[in-house]
Amino acid sequence: MGKANIYLLMLGLLFSVQLSAKDYKVSDFGAKADGITVNTCTIQKAIDYINENGGGRLVFEAGNYVTGSIYLKSNVTLQLNHGATILGSTNPFDYIKDKKIGWMSMIFAVNQENIGITGKGTINGRGFITANNMVNYIHRGIYTDPLKLDRPNETNRPQNVYFRECTNVTITDITLRDPASWNQTYDQCKNLYVDNIYVDSKSYWNNDGIDVVDCDGVVIKNSYFDAADDVLCFKSHSADHICQNVVVDNCVGRSSANGLKFGTVSRGGFRNFKVTNLTIFDTFRSAITFAAVDGGEIENIVVDGVRSINTGNVIFLRIGDRWSKGKKPYMKDITISNVYAEVPFGKPDAGYNYEGPVEDLPRNISPASIVGLPEYKIQNVKLKNIEIVYPGAGNPLYAKRGLTPAELDSIPEMRTAYPEFSQFKELPAWGIYVRHAEGISFENVTFTALKKDYRPSIVIDDVKGASFKGMLFNEPESKGKQQIFQQKSSNVVIQ
Amino acid sequence: MNKLKIIVLSLTLLCVLRLSAEDYKASMFGIKSNGTTLNTTAIQKAIDYIHEKGGGQLVFYVGRYLTGTIQLKSNVKIRLEEGAILVGSTNIYDYNINTNYSSLVFAYQAENIAITGKGVIDGQGREVAYNLIDQVHKGIIPDDLKNDRPSTRRPRAIYFRECKNVDITEIVIRNSADWVQVYDQCQNLKIDKITVDSKAFWNNDGLDVVDCKDVKITNSFIDATDDAICFKSHDATKMCENVEVRNCVARSSANGIKFGTVTSGGYKNFKIINNKVYDTFRSAITIATPDGGVIDNILVDSLYAYNTGNAIYLRIGARWNKGRTGSMSNITIQNMYCEIPNTKPDTGYEYEGPIEDLPRNISPASIVGIPGQDITNVTLRNIQLVYPGNSNPNYAYRGTKPADLDSIPEMTAAYPEFSQFKELPAWGFYVRHAKNVKFENVTLTAKGKEYRPAIVLDDVKGATFSGMKYNEPGGSKKQLHVYKSSGVIQKK
Amino acid sequence: MSKIKIVTIILLTVCTVNLSAKDYKASLFGVKSEGVTLNTKSIQKAIDFISENGGGKLVFYVGRYLTGTIQLKSNVTIELKEGAVWVATPSVYDYFGVNGTKALIVADGQQNIGIVGKGVIEGQGAAVLEQINTQIQKGYLRETAAQASPALIVMNNCSDIVIDEFNLMNACGNVQSYTGCKSLIINGVTVKSTSVKGTKGLLLAGCDGVKLSNIFFETSDTEISTTETSKNVSIMNCKNAAGKKLQTKN
Repeated sequence: MGKANIYLLMLGLLFSVQLSAKDYKVSDFGAKADGITVNTCTIQKAIDYINENGGGRLVFEAGNYVTGSIYLKSNVTLQLNHGATILGSTNPFDYIKDKKIGWMSMIFAVNQENIGITGKGTINGRGFITANNMVNYIHRGIYTDPLKLDRPNETNRPQNVYFRECTNVTITDITLRDPASWNQTYDQCKNLYVDNIYVDSKSYWNNDGIDVVDCDGVVIKNSYFDAADDVLCFKSHSADHICQNVVVDNCVGRSSANGLKFGTVSRGGFRNFKVTNLTIFDTFRSAITFAAVDGGEIENIVVDGVRSINTGNVIFLRIGDRWSKGKKPYMKDITISNVYAEVPFGKPDAGYNYEGPVEDLPRNISPASIVGLPEYKIQNVKLKNIEIVYPGAGNPLYAKRGLTPAELDSIPEMRTAYPEFSQFKELPAWGIYVRHAEGISFENVTFTALKKDYRPSIVIDDVKGASFKGMLFNEPESKGKQQIFQQKSSNVVIQ
Repeated sequence: MNKLKIIVLSLTLLCVLRLSAEDYKASMFGIKSNGTTLNTTAIQKAIDYIHEKGGGQLVFYVGRYLTGTIQLKSNVKIRLEEGAILVGSTNIYDYNINTNYSSLVFAYQAENIAITGKGVIDGQGREVAYNLIDQVHKGIIPDDLKNDRPSTRRPRAIYFRECKNVDITEIVIRNSADWVQVYDQCQNLKIDKITVDSKAFWNNDGLDVVDCKDVKITNSFIDATDDAICFKSHDATKMCENVEVRNCVARSSANGIKFGTVTSGGYKNFKIINNKVYDTFRSAITIATPDGGVIDNILVDSLYAYNTGNAIYLRIGARWNKGRTGSMSNITIQNMYCEIPNTKPDTGYEYEGPIEDLPRNISPASIVGIPGQDITNVTLRNIQLVYPGNSNPNYAYRGTKPADLDSIPEMTAAYPEFSQFKELPAWGFYVRHAKNVKFENVTLTAKGKEYRPAIVLDDVKGATFSGMKYNEPGGSKKQLHVYKSSGVIQKK
Repeated sequence: MSKIKIVTIILLTVCTVNLSAKDYKASLFGVKSEGVTLNTKSIQKAIDFISENGGGKLVFYVGRYLTGTIQLKSNVTIELKEGAVWVATPSVYDYFGVNGTKALIVADGQQNIGIVGKGVIEGQGAAVLEQINTQIQKGYLRETAAQASPALIVMNNCSDIVIDEFNLMNACGNVQSYTGCKSLIINGVTVKSTSVKGTKGLLLAGCDGVKLSNIFFETSDTEISTTETSKNVSIMNCKNAAGKKLQTKN
């Protein structure tokens, strides 16, 4: 995406914000800020009124406003002043499962334009209580749900925000916390502008930070996310749509899953992303996961400037063949540069609510990995100016994957599996593992293992065209150890 | 015994005495003040330890101490310093629900126990009750959910049974799931300067004193959904006696001060002096013996009641008396003032009292025995009751004709409540089945016109009226209606 | 009425009774009785659930149940035990209506429904009206106060309705209004609704087969108002606050 495009986008958003000139106080409509009164009908009336009367801002002044599901309408912005909190009702029956969307949410918008949620106030879903109340109703036979994994299906728990097919959406300055399911989803929206938001989302299972699904024209910047599930999560639910033209700048994320994630549902794909100045910390899985497992196309992705501290894994690029339905996935033109990362020996998210699941054992610390499929290679990946510090200490008596052809071939393809950096269990490298790829270039990459590891730093397998320039490996007692190992690969240039 | 022995003994005793006076900080036992750590076992260890060491005080400083049931033991005092909150767990399984004494703080046959200090006991009763209901609906806990609430297992904040020398001072008790505090067959109970704020769930009695002896309740404030200050007698071989209630303020969506409902043994030698009742749904004072108990020698002096649904209700019934005869005699109520509104007195409080026994105009104070069991020797002296008046005979009517008066049901087996007879034929006082009732210097005021007389006597043997005053708008009317009664003397 | 008709009705009644065999306690659906929680969606969920599962009775025990508009559905009876009070929320936007008339309890095209028991439906008329007037004054509510005022019960094109025993208090609009309903029995109900001006006790339009008995009306406007389109209306032992026996105009 050119700079001009971005400016146009921002100008467009600025314009829409200026349109919403008139302010209405929600208290004037009779809403009570007592933290007890369920204001659903009153807030809805206020939104409808502003929508019908030329638009404006619905202002929440300091106080606690309880509500169930409401629908935001065109030209209406919810302005949450400092100290104002919209509290989700803890009664699951106060929420609607939208027929078109198929999910529950507190704040919906469907097919609206020029909408927003702004201000220094808070949206607090109180999802832990609501989700547990739902569990109770399911056990009583009042609500039907199989309780898979002993939790209600994600769609039967309210998110904080779900906007679908909306244009010109502004989300600025607010705090979003404690949803019962995903947190905020923008699905097939155009021109989404998210700036300076604070997200604390670890009150129940599947609490994502932000989900951007099949959107076109997205800016997310200056925001902080702490989530139990994926933090900055881009998805593609529709094979006919694609997430594209996305700028993410100056964001900080913490997760008991992944930091920056494409997928898991990835039917259409992801195109033209520029992610800069990203900080990920205390994160259980990967700082960056790009997955094309459902036939999606991933293309032209630039990630520049990443600090990844105390994260379980750094980079995981994956093509799979899960729900592709014959659609051919691809992933190409990925540039990841200026990365500093530290992977710990212990559990990075220890002590947070809803810690990530300990799984895929036995396994020594997993390397970064780029793993396509034999017929769908990951193409043209550039890794530049990268330093990753690993704990090392891979112990072959605990888990071993050696370098013999038999052992390397024993790594399963797992084409239909849920993509996660740990899915292959033990991998034969401690720095990075690349399989089924074309045109991979490493430039100025430093891998450090703090303790001796039985594995080499890099293993490439079935790679056509790889270049290594300015590689540096730090590992104790490793004099003369061959740190790059290749199998079934061609055109490999090591400088 | 030689001298050495005596010295050793003295030293030992000294040590013991010193030990028993000792304060123990909660943190010593690993008790956490963060509000999320469940401290049940740590607090219990602390109590057991102090008890075994001869006694002392377990001190909680500012913080939130989450706990399930703990059992207080002899010579152990719990001290809740200002800012310290003992918080009840919301998990019903953290309580002793398989006993009859489900409670947060429990004691059985303990002596010299106390809970003191300006701290708080918060039962989180609403959440506990909801969670219990949830377990019932899921079929995990059996309960008939009578009235759509669990009949058993709801924990009280305090349940002390058969304890001696109990001291409850200064603390605040909030949000119980059931009765707030029960002292059952205790002796020498002192309650002073406590605050009860409990409108968390149904049956939140403020204070229940059951079959206790030598009780002093003073300087306390009680706001509760059910009866505020409540005396009961569960055991036919026991009774509540030698009780003093002084300088207390009560608010309730039931009765302000109540004797009953369960009254197996009875009540003797009570002094209830200088108390206030306000915003209370039912009666300022109810004295009831529906279960065969004996009530004797009760003095109520200086009771002030504002915005209260009813002033006085004295009642003998025959509910669970199993052939025994209940009696009530020697009741003196003096220096009382009560204002009764025509609106609902407890409007706006959570768990408001139930609107029932309709249709009915504003109910009078009443003294109602049962045939053959008169309420005996009642003195009403220096009393002023202010009623709203404005009864409408088309809405509800009970005239003074014999047929009307005889149509009032005896309801001997019913739960005793001032409204139980629905419409009554008087607006000030209704007296039935009583002996030797004295009205001295009693003023009855109706602010609006009434279709009923102020007082109706029915089957009363001996009634003296002196210094009576009736204020009702409109012309003068006969305010005293006497039916089937004898020995009625009206003085100036 | 011929004997066959009576037998048919009795048979139907027996069937109905069998259908509504199941009693559900309100707490099963998380309905709260403390008077503060707005129960609208929980009560509605309960009614929908019972209606979808063969019908039955939704029982409310002693307590105060705050709610906005509730839609009654076929084969569901609401029982308010003595001491149970449905309290109308003062919040004006929590109401909707049928046929342009808002109400706390509405039913449209439903069969075999009822509200029974010795409890109370409290409309909080004065409080609701105050809110309505404020919202009209601010210009947010574009209806007249009369249009916006919720009645207590409004039913449209329903049949086999039993309204028995309980107390209806302080409506904001009219107390009860039935349009195009068949087989309506209202018995032993006490209406006390004078907190707002212009409250009518009972409106009937285009109804067929209405039995009113033992009803006490204390209202600020006409007690019973029937249009000529209603037929087979009988009134027995109904009186107003002045003690006057009420008659139908047809």
